[in-house]
Amino acid sequence: MSAFAAFASGLLFGTGLLVSGMADPAKVKAFLDVTGRFDPSLAVVMASALAVAFVAYAIAKRRSASFTGRAFDLPASRTLDARLFGGAIVFGIGWGIAGVCPGPALVLLGAGHAAGLVFVVAMLGGMVAFEVVERRGRAKLVPVAEDA
Amino acid sequence: MPPIGFDVSMPSIGLAGLLVGIGTRYGAGCTSGHGICGISRLSPRSIAATLCFMAAGIATVFVTRHVLS
Repeated sequence: MSAFAAFASGLLFGTGLLVSGMADPAKVKAFLDVTGRFDPSLAVVMASALAVAFVAYAIAKRRSASFTGRAFDLPASRTLDARLFGGAIVFGIGWGIAGVCPGPALVLLGAGHAAGLVFVVAMLGGMVAFEVVERRGRAKLVPVAEDA
Repeated sequence: MPPIGFDVSMPSIGLAGLLVGIGTRYGAGCTSGHGICGISRLSPRSIAATLCFMAAGIATVFVTRHVLS
């Protein structure tokens, strides 16, 4: 049931990205091009998605487990740190260069676009590079980091 | 199939993918993670991250489209 729910959610999400135009890099860049050929229509997509998710989280808040019986795993951190800002800025630069973010990248890969494949491989490379740097950093500060 | 249009070279797409991969991990989220799920939970981290990546995306498109070319 859990695997089916995951499959159905992914299918719905991917279809939504494709139909709304979020998976079209030209449209995403037009949304970000506020001083040029600005196309604000993706703001409507985002607002609609937020409205749906807001209701979904309101329902989730009143439950102790999901409809498939799984416990909710929501991020608890509320601190704003340099990593959050730095990461978001690096992400935004990449997003602005290609007009592609992780969800749509998978849609483009599934649609058989060579550019989608290049983007996803590079993106996974970036994630692996992050893991490697993180593990090295952690290995260096083993005894002290436990309390920090 | 809805239209899909790229206006950058393959090396630029590769560079963009790399930055998106690194940024997603450091910033602990992406457009859907922070922008949709996080904001709809009213997470202050997600609101801050979304403002940051929107600003960075707008600045990048401005520089690549209207300054460099």
